Amino acid sequence: MLKILLNRKEPSIEQVRKHQNFNKILAAVQYQQKVNNPWRYWYYPSLTICLLLLV
Amino acid sequence: MPLQLSLQQQSFLPSEEKTQIERAQQDPRYFAPLYERYHDAIFRYVYRRVDDEEQAYDITSCVFVKALQSLHKFEYRGLPFGAWLFRIAKSELYQSFRDQKAQRTVSLDKVVLKQVIEEWTEDYTEEDKARLLLALKSLKDQQLQLVEMRFFEKRSFKEIGDICGLSENNAKVKTFRAVLKLKEFFHQKE
Repeated sequence: MLKILLNRKEPSIEQVRKHQNFNKILAAVQYQQKVNNPWRYWYYPSLTICLLLLV
Repeated sequence: MPLQLSLQQQSFLPSEEKTQIERAQQDPRYFAPLYERYHDAIFRYVYRRVDDEEQAYDITSCVFVKALQSLHKFEYRGLPFGAWLFRIAKSELYQSFRDQKAQRTVSLDKVVLKQVIEEWTEDYTEEDKARLLLALKSLKDQQLQLVEMRFFEKRSFKEIGDICGLSENNAKVKTFRAVLKLKEFFHQKE
């Protein structure tokens, strides 16, 4: 169902900027990249094994 | 409130933007100037199409997250970067409508509404206003999008075409047909 709003007040540029900033977006992207990285689960175990083999 | 939606209003050199995109493709931290340039326009595009402000903020965030994630795929082939962002915004918006997270809304200015009615009838009455609102509801979604962008947001046909994935001429023809349909619905209920 379509809703029609007349003369709706829009937030100012300052309000919008206060609400959202680039650092939050960047942090979200970096977190997702980290979570989606398949090496995430293998990095520390494989590093430990390599170190043990070296020793 | 003046609209700050048009891509043509943005003052920058395309070559400068191209360099910024290339740098951001190497390192997402360099996306900041592009974000600053387009964030407000994208937010307002979304805000005018959903009824909830918080939802508009959420969708806008998703747009920029998606843009950063797929920035490596972006190639400069005539489509302005802003239009590419608006396409992502459009797809995110329709995903939220499908998921029923947001409600499809049209935000209208009474002055613009009055101007449209005065073009079609001799004098503006409250009854005409109600009829036009009803006629808007009768349009198909793609027609509504075209009318919305052309008449309520004052975008050029080139810009509408870029956002909707149509050629400038095709955008012109489809908008013309949508307006005819709207007029038909408007006069039908007289």
